[in-house]
Amino acid sequence: PIFPSSHNSGSSARGHLSIPRMVQESRPSWDNPMQFVLACVSYAVGLGNVWRFPYLCQMHGGGGFLIPYLIMLLVEGVPLFYMELAVGQQMRQGSIGAWTAISPYLTGVGIASVVVSLFLCVYYNVINAWAFWYLFHSFQETLPWAECPVNGNRTAFVSECEKSSPTQYFWYRETLNITSSINDTGGIQMGQALCLLLAWLVVFLCIIRGTKSTGKVVYVTSIFPYFVLIIYLIRGVTLHGAVNGLKYMFTPKLTELANPKAWVNAATQIFFSLGLGFGSLIAFASFNQPNNNFEKQAIIVSLINSGTSVFASIVTFSIYGFKATFNYEACIDRMILLLMNSFDLAEGSVTTENLSDWVTRLNATYPEQFALISPQMEFCDLESELDTAVEGTGLAFIVYSEAIKNMEVSQLWSVLYFTMLLMLGIGSMLGNVAAIITPLRDWQLLSRHLQQETLAGLVCLLCFIIGLGFTSRSGNYWFAIFNDYAVTLSLLFIVLIEILSVCYIYGLKRFEKDISVMIGHLPHWYWRVTWSIVSPLLIVGLLIFYMIDYITGGTPTYQAWDELQGRTVKKEYPPYAQAFIGILVIASMICVPLVALVTFFKRKIQQQSLFHSVMLCKT
Amino acid sequence: MIQYLPIFKKMLQKYPGRNRERQNALVTETGDSPGMAKGMITGARGDTHDGYKVRLSIKTALGKDAYQWNEDEKFLFRATIAFAMRAYTKDESYNVSSVLICNETQRVSFWIQVKRPNTAIPVQQDLLEKAIISSRNRINSAFLLSDKTLEFVGITSTLPSPIEPSYPVWLVVFGVVIGIVTLGIIAIIVSGVLAKKRKIKEIEDGDELEKEDNIVENGIYCGVLEIKEGVNNGAFAHEDDSLTKL
Repeated sequence: PIFPSSHNSGSSARGHLSIPRMVQESRPSWDNPMQFVLACVSYAVGLGNVWRFPYLCQMHGGGGFLIPYLIMLLVEGVPLFYMELAVGQQMRQGSIGAWTAISPYLTGVGIASVVVSLFLCVYYNVINAWAFWYLFHSFQETLPWAECPVNGNRTAFVSECEKSSPTQYFWYRETLNITSSINDTGGIQMGQALCLLLAWLVVFLCIIRGTKSTGKVVYVTSIFPYFVLIIYLIRGVTLHGAVNGLKYMFTPKLTELANPKAWVNAATQIFFSLGLGFGSLIAFASFNQPNNNFEKQAIIVSLINSGTSVFASIVTFSIYGFKATFNYEACIDRMILLLMNSFDLAEGSVTTENLSDWVTRLNATYPEQFALISPQMEFCDLESELDTAVEGTGLAFIVYSEAIKNMEVSQLWSVLYFTMLLMLGIGSMLGNVAAIITPLRDWQLLSRHLQQETLAGLVCLLCFIIGLGFTSRSGNYWFAIFNDYAVTLSLLFIVLIEILSVCYIYGLKRFEKDISVMIGHLPHWYWRVTWSIVSPLLIVGLLIFYMIDYITGGTPTYQAWDELQGRTVKKEYPPYAQAFIGILVIASMICVPLVALVTFFKRKIQQQSLFHSVMLCKT
Repeated sequence: MIQYLPIFKKMLQKYPGRNRERQNALVTETGDSPGMAKGMITGARGDTHDGYKVRLSIKTALGKDAYQWNEDEKFLFRATIAFAMRAYTKDESYNVSSVLICNETQRVSFWIQVKRPNTAIPVQQDLLEKAIISSRNRINSAFLLSDKTLEFVGITSTLPSPIEPSYPVWLVVFGVVIGIVTLGIIAIIVSGVLAKKRKIKEIEDGDELEKEDNIVENGIYCGVLEIKEGVNNGAFAHEDDSLTKL
């Protein structure tokens, strides 16, 4: 039985009539529209806003990237977001039921959404597990990633740590205990497995009561990250060297706009940042009151999401600037020391300003001695420090923890930062899990036999067990596979089918009428144009681009950690991994045509048997 | 932004290297730290078996409170080395005169050599190394320096092992958090089960009346429907019965 959100035991009349239970029990709903908005914000604002957007900004010409980003937001993001909310609120069912209601042949779209959400759930929570791990390790005198551990006889630091850096060592060795290639599986890391268990328990706790529990949790998960971001903003811009990072980011290099990759990345980022196509938005909207004004809410949530991206990138770039300046100045200090020690120059004679003069002078005067130390000379460049492409979960853990360890009271900053990551991650997980559970719950077969809590528990358990694979020593390589391939292509395909079916199978006019019944007025012609023409064309363009990219890209490669060298090396995926990638990509997309075919045949059989029985009647 | 000869991008190897450096007597540049004896006559040449090169970084360590390196400081240094030898070998005949300083530079680096007392034979390298290591702390503190700022090139200092708590701290925090979460889950499940039991009891106690909380038909709660015994549906009510009844 479904627990309703409010108990209205007003009927005191004792029964003379017992009305049979033929009506549907009412659907649970949000306590107020604010909960729905915050749930959407909590879902949409996730780790990608904090990590991926600043990286894209950095790659595509700083402030100039905002232009394609905002254009794509207006043309692609908001209309598609609006459409998904409309479908969910109208059909009042999870993704499978909603798309079945639009057309029975489209059940496959809903199923594909559920499959994609399942993939996402399985690997996304591993990030929360890592955040927990780092959070718990922040409660120490010195942060464990601040210093290298010493080797057995205390003569030097552990060589792997020496060659790379303490933060990288902590990530690759002490957290992941990573193997050197995807072929060596290694055992399951206990610490990671425990943290993953905790992450799933927390998610379970938040969804156990459906909208009742989720609605309360999203107040925290959506608002807390902003507090931390503001605190970090204040701290960040006051750090020494932050200005360098900010200048680097905001100096627009408009020439980058000519690069088509910038536009593709902007479109993709908007797409995935808003979480379209997973079915989470449909699930959340299905719990709305029928007359909820989702048009306004769609615009608000999309703007908040993009605003947060820009805000987070300001914070991120001030931290990058601080880290880059710190490293640059450390590099300069090392060079000064090197020169002073090799040529026995007085302390204070070589400074940052005259370093280059000294180098030229010494090279001219003592060429042989200079040649001896030239292997140790480094090129200290602030630009190249800022340029270090930072992307992906592991690198982001490394870079931020590196910056944090150099701040005062680093434990406090570390705790704040990783708690914020947790809030963002859990908030997104709520949406991901809702996308799976809501359609399953609507499926009469299951909801008759299983209670809501049991269903939620089973889903969490299943995802946890599959997710244990990511806690093995080579787990991070499999994580990268999921991260890069599991959702990207499939999602574009799913959303394309969605928008085309809404516009052309369900009918744009019919859709508009439904919307006008819900919010009181017909949608503006702008939405009509974007839904029917612009967005589908854009998505088709993106799909073609990605296909070409996959085909011409050659064998997919990954970054493997080499512990002897202390850095990552590029390796090709073995054949079985490539086959797995193929399965991942196809598995969700194939649901659409497959289920359409099954429905077609089922209907044909039904029609035939109906025809036969009619014929029998006639005779 | 400082740009200078981009030579190699290799990371700096850890200093100091293990091999003893061969140093010729360097004639220093125009020195600008007063009180420092310049261009020492080539005394003991830095041979591979003769003592150690010492390097001090006083300004780095002390900043504004840096003292000048002069003859008195040199004397103190020789005395501390002699002390180290005495303390290690328990031989009281070591004296300041046993310790030689040569090849001083403006870096403030020089070579030391220790001779056996009352002889010209240098002391064994290992003996000297062990003696220095054992009294390293005392030598450092005599000059308000540390292992990094008072370097004996060739003698690697033992790194202080990081303070490791006796138990893994993270497990404690983890245990607390997972305990709270598990309690929360159990509490919610138990309260749900109890509420259901209560509901079933109420239904059994009550009549055949079904608890239709919140069941809505045509926008009207069923419970209300029962009380009112029907609701006027305006679509079918004809107020204007002007038409004839057939």
